[in-house]
This record gives sequence, structure tokens and C-alpha cells, in this order.
Amino acid sequence: MSKVAAFTLLFAAATQAAQPDPSLRNFVACPIVRDTASVPCWLAEYDGELYFLTLQTDVSAPVNPPWLGHRVLVEGKRSDKPRICGGIPLEPVRLSVVAEPDSSCNEIRPAEDRYNLTFEPPRPPGPSGGRLAFNTLPMPTAPVEVKKEARHYTLDYAFNGMVNFKTPFQLAPVLDMARAMPASRVEIVGYRSAALLSNGKVLQEKPDLARRRAQQVVELLKGAGLTAPQYQVRWVDASPAPNGADDYRNRRVDITLQP
Amino acid sequence: MRLRQALIAIPLAGAVALLPSLSPSAEYASGAPDRWWGPGESRAWPQRLDYANSQGTVGVLRDGPALDTRGHAFFTALGPNGRACVTCHQPADGMSITAATARERWAATNGRDPLFAAIDGSNCPSLPQEKESSHSLLLTRGLIRVALPWPPRGDDGKAIDPEFTIEVMRDPTGCNSSPVYGLASPEPKVSVYRRPRPVSNTKYTTHQNFGVLPFIGKNGLPASRDADTGKPSAMNIMADARAPTLKAQAQDAAANHLQVASPLTADQLAQIVSFEGSLYVSQAASRTAGSLEETNGPSGLGPDAMRKGEAGVLGNNTTRWVIPMENKWKSLPRTGDAAADARADARESIQRGHDIYMFRTFWIRDSMHLNSVGLGNPTKRTCATCHGMHMTGMDTANGWMDIGTTNLPWAKEEPLNPWNSNKPEMPLFKVTCKAGVDPHPFLGRVIYTQDPGRALISGRCNDVGTIVMQQLRGMSARAPYFSNGSAQTLREVVDYYDRRYNIGYSEQEKQDLTNFLGAL
Repeated sequence: MSKVAAFTLLFAAATQAAQPDPSLRNFVACPIVRDTASVPCWLAEYDGELYFLTLQTDVSAPVNPPWLGHRVLVEGKRSDKPRICGGIPLEPVRLSVVAEPDSSCNEIRPAEDRYNLTFEPPRPPGPSGGRLAFNTLPMPTAPVEVKKEARHYTLDYAFNGMVNFKTPFQLAPVLDMARAMPASRVEIVGYRSAALLSNGKVLQEKPDLARRRAQQVVELLKGAGLTAPQYQVRWVDASPAPNGADDYRNRRVDITLQP
Repeated sequence: MRLRQALIAIPLAGAVALLPSLSPSAEYASGAPDRWWGPGESRAWPQRLDYANSQGTVGVLRDGPALDTRGHAFFTALGPNGRACVTCHQPADGMSITAATARERWAATNGRDPLFAAIDGSNCPSLPQEKESSHSLLLTRGLIRVALPWPPRGDDGKAIDPEFTIEVMRDPTGCNSSPVYGLASPEPKVSVYRRPRPVSNTKYTTHQNFGVLPFIGKNGLPASRDADTGKPSAMNIMADARAPTLKAQAQDAAANHLQVASPLTADQLAQIVSFEGSLYVSQAASRTAGSLEETNGPSGLGPDAMRKGEAGVLGNNTTRWVIPMENKWKSLPRTGDAAADARADARESIQRGHDIYMFRTFWIRDSMHLNSVGLGNPTKRTCATCHGMHMTGMDTANGWMDIGTTNLPWAKEEPLNPWNSNKPEMPLFKVTCKAGVDPHPFLGRVIYTQDPGRALISGRCNDVGTIVMQQLRGMSARAPYFSNGSAQTLREVVDYYDRRYNIGYSEQEKQDLTNFLGAL
């Protein structure tokens, strides 16, 4: 599929909606890499302005860099902090890589002294000092003491995304708890979202995604050996009206473990 | 004590290796037993075996007493084709098998060695087996045919609905279009051709440490599990991760390579797995740098370092290195003795190669399951980013990636032009991701590949061409390299990366990195 066709398809479901919060910066653009003397920065342009998205760090980062060769959905809030790598920082920011390749997204800006980082990056481009950048990925361990009460979990997704490299660290505790309880029933509810862009347009996640997400979680848990509980699966295909501020909350699967 | 006993077992090899001289490689292991270990022989496998190779000597250390091979399941032809595990896992070849050894066996037996069994030691069983050309992939690239069912089957034996269709675009072996063995046969199979993996240092490939989770760290899907314990597997044993344990691999190999009709017994499996788990392999001496296992030398070199090393930990950091060298060979004194100074030169080159491996950044781009797992595309990192497992340089778990060795446009292909009479040797498949499935993020919806790799097991589009990365130990003993044997030398490996990632290594950097890899 050509990039033009892909872009058209992406916006096919767009409809006019209410004007978004002016501090929000929600847009689809090509990401841009700017090299530095240490790690590269990730930027994107929107409406004549350059925004800083994130740094290259490692898999444990709360925000992972997007991909050249693909557009990215940026959902962020303009901050008042000093520019980084020439871009206005967006904080918080969520990035969703658009699945269809786009070869026009191919810009690596060379390092310039004026764009050197003014702080030490959480992780160097080579070997680290023996830690992950953010230390947020502890190895899951089985709970020691388990009360006989329902437990609730939520899996997050990128826009139009299914499970990915971050899922194991969200799903492993669910598996551990379900075994420890042991759970007699696993209730799973899938959702999909719409995203309000800063230009007023709305992006809708793929049809049927709520069902696919929910059913995939069932397959994952069963595939990991959790076959004893009864599974109760449903999905909510209708997405609530997006507001541009927290539309990501509806890209999720809720899991409830019943003892 | 064990090391002392082992060293006593190889007095000649060890003594020569410690000498500060540039001896021909054969001298390093002139006291070693016969290179070829055939099925059904009655030989004593000592605690330590050393065999010469083009770069020096490989050491095979057994963590256990000497072993009588007679009647041992690893050394016994368990099926009708006369093969044993040892046929394709030879100590002189770092517990794999080289194309050079295959050629020696062809010459020595006029092609009658069980190594050349029609089932997979030839390009296709349908070819005339007496002809050397029918075994060309084994003789030139060290490749064994691996026939995998299509569509793939899950762990429960049920067919998986693959995300892509597959067509045979080129079939120089004839096997993929064969009415008996091919995709259109009554039991459809895809034939790919792969290097046998070394059965050594297995505590690293089967660990239960960092990165081994119920769900695969690269994509969130369920990890394969040990059928006996239910524990998730590191999925690092085979090129396509299809066998979660050494037991499962042994059963797979017995059925498909030894043509054993019924499953191996529990005793046979226990013997094989126990033996495999006792072997530690590494280059032990360098033709130019001398011994790689001196007491005061770098702690990460030599087979005993593999025995002592911690399994399943991340080494891509400056507190626990991938290959610990402690800068021991950073700056060595010169004595004026030409031989000693040449050895110091070689050792400093190995150290520089290590530093390139750890610190020389380049843009890693469009590599599935590396750039797609949170690092961004591209990511400015180093060799050690992917090759990060302490002591082996593997990924710690679920180590399949696509660096382009089997996928076009990066896979090695025969140049087609009026001035080249060579014909392509490898099959070529066209993979098309089905409608409704996301395209491969870096290769699009249509992919041409010599080997779909993990995708032949998972059925997933973004697994096409992904191969579990190989351990980096004992490599000087087991050319050619990459799963499809497309690099005949370690220098070709380095050149491939330089081309693939536009690294721009200097000639000195290439030599240093090659020397470092050759010393592992």
C-alpha cells in the first residue's frame, strides 16, 4: 500500500469534533532523530513548531522512541521547560507508531554543538553502569500472602496496538496472582478508543479491536498455562467521545480475578 | 582441582600454548585424539580435549569424569541411517560441524559417511545421493536440511493459521517444489537449510534467569514451556526456538536427523542431556596471541571461564561485562624479542576488538525485535546491545531477531549477470502478509527470504527471517557463520555488519574485531 493510501486510510474515519485544549499537542507526524554527542533525541514538527518527544534510553523507559519509516501519533502536553535538542518538551507524552510503513519518515539530523544535552542521559549509548535506565521492570514474583478477594488489573495499549514488549511485565503479575489465589474466574473486558487531534479531527481505532484485544488476553493466559479458571470475556466496541486529554485510557483491557 | 586435572590431560597442547612464539596452529594440539568421533566407537572422552583450527586451538572442557563413549546415547547410532548425535556435533568443530569437516568426510568415505544421509545431509532426498553436487550445501556451507510442516503446528499439535502466505520463488535444491517433500506434497513442508548449533555451554542457553518470563519479552506472547516442569523456556536453543528444552531438542533431532522411529527413552534422553550440559567450549589458544587461559589473563576467555561463569545475566554494562577482560591486554610491555612483541601486538588487538564490541556505536536500524522493542528505530548502540548475555554474547532470552542474513535485500545472493556462471544455491520464498494483518514494520507486506526463520514456527509476519542469535564462543572452530552459512570467515561476519549497518569500520577496527571474535 502506498504511503498516500495509508495516510488516507488513517484519516478515513476522521470527523470534526470540539476544539481541543490549547495546551495539548495531539498530531500525527514523521518522527525526527537528532544525533548528539551522546544519545539521540526524538523530535517531531507540528504546526511550524518543533517538539521534543523523548530520548533514546532503553526498554524500561516510560516513553519509548518511535520508528523512522513510520509516522507516529503524538499525544502530549506542551510544557514550559527549556527546549531539549531544539524542541519544546511535551510532558506527559504518549507515542503510538502507525503500523503502515512510510518511507518519507527518514530524517536523521546530524549532531550540532548547540543541541548537546544539558543533562546526563539516563542511559549512555553504549554499555550502562550496570542498571536499566529507569529500573521499572522488576522480575515478577509470586505474591506471598493472598487474600480471597477480587483483584483488578489493566493492560495499556498503544493506539491501534495489541500486546507488545511491555506486556510481559503487566501480565506476569496477573498470572502469578491467578495461580496464587487460585482464581476460579477471570473476567476480561476489552476496549478501544478514539483520539482527538489538535486540529479537531478524530482518529478511531480499528473496528473490532476491543474484541481482538480481549480474546488475545484469554489466549495469552491460557497459553501460559492458566487453563483452570472459567473465562468470562466481553468487549465494548463503542468508544466514548474523545477529549484529547486522556483518550489513551480507553485503549485497554481490564482483567478481574475472582477467587 | 578439575582444571588442574584437565590441564594434565593435555600437557603438550598447554605447554606449547604458553610459549611466547608464533607457532603454526597445528602445533597447539598435536597431541589431541583423532579429530573425527564416529558413531559406535569405543573411545575415552577425557575431561579436556584440544583441537587445532585456523586461529589456534579450541578447548572442550567436560565438567565431569572422563567418559567411555561405548553405548552412550550421544555416541550411538540410534536410528537406521547410522547417525549419532556426535556425527554433527564434533569436539574439533566446537561441538558443531564445519563445511571443511564435511569435505574431509566426503573424501575419506567417498560420500558414504552417515553424515550425508539423504534425509537432511543432502540438498534433497530425491537427488542422486552418490553425486557430490547433491550435497553441495553441506559441503560448501555446512548446512543441514530442516523440513518444517506448513502450516505450522502449535505446541498442542494443532495447525496454526499463519498470518502470511508463502510461495517458492526459487528452488535450486528441488525440495520445496518436490511432489514428495515440498509445499504441494501430501504432508506439506518447507525445507530450509541451517547450520547445526553447538551443543556446549548449555547452561547459558537454557538458563532460568534474566528475561525468562511466562510471556515473551519481544512480543508479549506466551513463552514455550518445559513439558516436565511447566516453567517458561529461555527459547534460545534452536535457530527458530522450536524446542524449549534440551530434551525436546534431542527428541526432535532423533526423529528428524537420526530417523529414529519411536521416541527416545528416558534413559537415553538423560544421558544425552547430561552429557551436553557438561561441556564447556571456547577458543583456548590463539595462533598469534598465545594462550587465552593464563592465570593472570582476561577472566572471560578459555573454556574454564565458561564453566565458572554466571548464566543468564545481562553483560551489556560496565559492572558485569559480556566478555570480562579487565583491560588486561590494554597496554602490554615490549621486550625487544620479536616473537614476544608480536604476541603482545596480537593481544592488544584482541583487547581493542573487545572495546569496539562494547563501545563503538553505530546506527542499528530496521532490525525486527531489536528496533521494535522499545529502543526506537534507529538506535545508536553497540554490538553488545544485542549480543549482551554475559559470557556468550547471546540475547539473554527469546533471542530471535532479523539482521537481514536471510531476508532480502541484505541476505547474501549470487550476483546474476552475464559474467558470473555461478547459480544461486539457496531457496528463495515470497512471503505475503495477509490482508487484515499489520505489515512487517521494516519490510512491508511482501518479503523475499531464503529462510523465514521463527515465522515457520509462529506463523507471524513480523517473525519472518528472524533467527535466534548464536553464542559467540568457540567460533574459530566452526565456520561457516550465520544460520545459512553465508559467511565463510569471521572477517566476512564483520564485513556483513559493516555493510548492513553502514558502520564504516576502519581496516584496523575490522581486524581487531575479527581477532576478538576469533579468541572467544
